[in-house]
Amino acid sequence: MSQALRFLILLTALTLFTSVNSYAEEQNTEQSESIDITKKLGDSNYLDFGVKIPLPRILISDGIHFYASTYSAINNGPFMDVYYIQNPDKFGTGPVKPVTYKLVREDGSPITLDMSITKHLVWFMFAGFLTLIMFGRLANKYKQGTGRTSAPKGAGQNMAEVLIIYLRDEVIKSNIGEKKYRKFTPYLLSCFFMILFMNLFGLAPWGVTPTADISVTAVLALTTFFITNLNGSKDYWKHIFAMPGVPVLMLPLIIVVEILGLFTKPFALAIRLFANMLAGKMLIISMLGMIFIFAAMFGAAVGLGSSILWVSFTIFIYALKVFAAFLQAYIFTMFSALFIGMAVEEHDHDHHHADAHPVTH
Amino acid sequence: METQIAEFAHLAAGLGAGIILLGAGFGIGMIGKGAMEATARQPEASGDIRTSMLISAGLIEGATFFGLVVCILLGLK
Repeated sequence: MSQALRFLILLTALTLFTSVNSYAEEQNTEQSESIDITKKLGDSNYLDFGVKIPLPRILISDGIHFYASTYSAINNGPFMDVYYIQNPDKFGTGPVKPVTYKLVREDGSPITLDMSITKHLVWFMFAGFLTLIMFGRLANKYKQGTGRTSAPKGAGQNMAEVLIIYLRDEVIKSNIGEKKYRKFTPYLLSCFFMILFMNLFGLAPWGVTPTADISVTAVLALTTFFITNLNGSKDYWKHIFAMPGVPVLMLPLIIVVEILGLFTKPFALAIRLFANMLAGKMLIISMLGMIFIFAAMFGAAVGLGSSILWVSFTIFIYALKVFAAFLQAYIFTMFSALFIGMAVEEHDHDHHHADAHPVTH
Repeated sequence: METQIAEFAHLAAGLGAGIILLGAGFGIGMIGKGAMEATARQPEASGDIRTSMLISAGLIEGATFFGLVVCILLGLK
């Protein structure tokens, strides 16, 4: 009971603090009240929990520069916010605040490389550590015997075991094959749970979906790409560079198509996850934005009235997004398993070749 | 002239996205139809049917994305 009370007090304090802070910010920056969807969904150099928590900047321009925050980079380093380059009249004396968070050199020329730790990267790492800690503890439990010699204990272990057994038997084993699935199971399982966590983060207040960023999904797809091709069997490469049963004159064309197919598979993998996650978030913000559009067009009363409709739509989309979070993590894992299975498969050459050959697109 | 080209590019992006979705929706709808009929006929094979349904839906989706990328590139013009 006291714990719940403490949590409630913390929550109230946090909310109060947030509202005061955002009010103060509104007073300061005199920004328009329009909701910028791309800015809300995009990457940034600060964590946004109502208050902005600055993230370190790592900049490469005549050597590597490290700064604890963008503020420090502007005021202590040879860098300047691009806003002050464009509006020199806003640049007063004393320390200046970052506005666009996009840094250039002091003379206005672009920096060589911005390797800063951004919001999406922080949440990405958080998902990684969460997976590592949760499933490391779970693995220890199994090592000690709980779940192997006895029934699994606790809600966490039971839930995880259901998911893991399902994935292992229905997804990984059936796609990769009985002989080789063990080697790839750790990667595919961590892939599933990490993507699941990342997808679900965005549904929490102030949460961010790192998978709504193309670079995050591209890295995940690239990992699958490397695992697939580094474990490719002789038959796999033979099917790319010397497809059996194809006339020699057709071979150059087939080779080009097959090599293209190597890259389109992870590309589609990355785009699918990215597009699905981004579309869900965009839809929620747009739905809620409709209230304000209605209010601006027909007056506040209509806006308030229509909010019943839009909020219920949003709740529906929200529920759909919970489903999509699981589905997309499942699909990513399944396709990774499928591609890996296609690569490690060793064909039985006695059989008819047409049906042994996997589908490529 | 410059702005006119950009406007046409935006129009093409919107139309293209719509046509792509028509095709993809029809394709995935056909898969769903087939899977539902198959499951109704043979409920015990629903697991296998679901897996192959998702795979073929995913492949269609993959082809759709290439069209959508073209539209996005046009839309950003």
